Amino acid sequence: MSGSGHTVTSYDEDLEAMSNAIIEMGGLAESQLESAIRSFIDRNTELAKATVEGDAAVDELEHSIDNKAIRVLALRSPVADDLRRVISALKIAAALERVADYSANIAKRVIALEKAPETRQMSAFPRMGEIVGRMISDTLRAYAHDDADLAYDVWKRDKEVDQLYNSMFRELLTYMMEDHRNISSCTHLIFMAKNIERIGDHMTNIAEIIIYQVTGTAPTEERPKGDKTSVTMISDSDIQSGK
Amino acid sequence: MQSLVEESAATEQQTEFNSVISAKRVNVFYGDTQALTNVDLEVPENQITSLIGPSGCGKSTFLRCLNRMNDTVDGCRVEGEILLDGVDIYGPGVDEVLLRARVGMVFQKPNPFPKSIYDNVAYGPRIHGLAANKDELDEMVLTSLEKAGLINEVQNRLHSTGTSLSGGQQQRLCIARALAVQPEIILMDEPCSALDPIATAKVEELIEELKENYSIIIVTHSMQQAARISQKTAFFHLGEVVEVGDTEKIFTSPSDERTQGYITGRFG
Repeated sequence: MSGSGHTVTSYDEDLEAMSNAIIEMGGLAESQLESAIRSFIDRNTELAKATVEGDAAVDELEHSIDNKAIRVLALRSPVADDLRRVISALKIAAALERVADYSANIAKRVIALEKAPETRQMSAFPRMGEIVGRMISDTLRAYAHDDADLAYDVWKRDKEVDQLYNSMFRELLTYMMEDHRNISSCTHLIFMAKNIERIGDHMTNIAEIIIYQVTGTAPTEERPKGDKTSVTMISDSDIQSGK
Repeated sequence: MQSLVEESAATEQQTEFNSVISAKRVNVFYGDTQALTNVDLEVPENQITSLIGPSGCGKSTFLRCLNRMNDTVDGCRVEGEILLDGVDIYGPGVDEVLLRARVGMVFQKPNPFPKSIYDNVAYGPRIHGLAANKDELDEMVLTSLEKAGLINEVQNRLHSTGTSLSGGQQQRLCIARALAVQPEIILMDEPCSALDPIATAKVEELIEELKENYSIIIVTHSMQQAARISQKTAFFHLGEVVEVGDTEKIFTSPSDERTQGYITGRFG
């Protein structure tokens, strides 16, 4: 039955090696994000540099997962839940690679901000990081345990991240309008916040993939979305009225 | 009819089709042994339906019910209804010989008669008196060989013996022989299991083409073959139909755990 192993046990080993690599890659991506945010909070350029360098290991794991998945496809001709597992691994690996890229980009901006005279510490930033970090760890747990319910729970969480990003976006725009000397650092900060918001989007994607992998169908309802920054405009009067 | 009310969940999400054969509550016994239990199956018109399942699951027994081949087995008893175009083939007054002309069969091992290629194909039309004269018979033989994709390989040796052909050619000759009596349905019992991959590909290509004009039911042990060529797949296990549905659905997200276990190679 599907709960038990394959008659050909090496098939199980192949699939397990692939899934373990996903979990390893996810763990690495999670710690990359953590280091990037920590480096920002502590203004720790060394940690930021290490984070940028750490991205290569994630890329390597992605290649290794791709190779494992291609091998299973070629040699085992997987079907049904096995097929869904292999296709999911390919897609999840690609998404995790993006997650790590965004983290590395945050770290790069931390290095750039070192030259900025003063950076506003914004409480929303570490909070976003925290929420997204938890999304990553819960997604990995859902993946490891084939837990579609937990994946669904993560899937619904992205709205909160979007809302935090909206408020940060508005706040940073306001700072820039107040004093043009803020523009350079605030622009970096906006990109950093956007990066975290994008990581949240990718985790939502991965959660969707896990739901498909486990149940055979992706969620049909519309994805919860809260990012309104693409339609946001702020004027002088908004600042004066304190909106 | 009870069987219509009790549609199993596994058959819910199928694309719509016209049934050419409806099997309802079919039970088959060999003496005291029950080989099939309450099999309900709708065979779609002009499509390929594959029957899959482990050895001894009843898929070949079911196939052989469809043209009453089981009548020749001592102690075999068939209960339930099998409707071909709405008429019960086990009903009174059904001529089995005519039935087998409408429901042709191709076997696992190519079994040409020890006759010429021409006579192999002409055999059915002769028995059933389908051709009025020699010219008509010639026409039937050539058309059947053409439909079976064999004509180019044999047109210069129609009077050589059928057994002189290669395995794959022999199987296509058997298909031509089945086509010659103008059947509506073709049953195939593992038609490629004795063939190499190239011959298999040719037969599969042929089956694909034939579905334009015939409804085809194929028993196969090759999951890949079922996935490649059929539009419907029925999974048999221990004499029951566990799940039947669109092939794509069965091979990407089957509803029943047993189906999943079997097709992914985790069974037993």
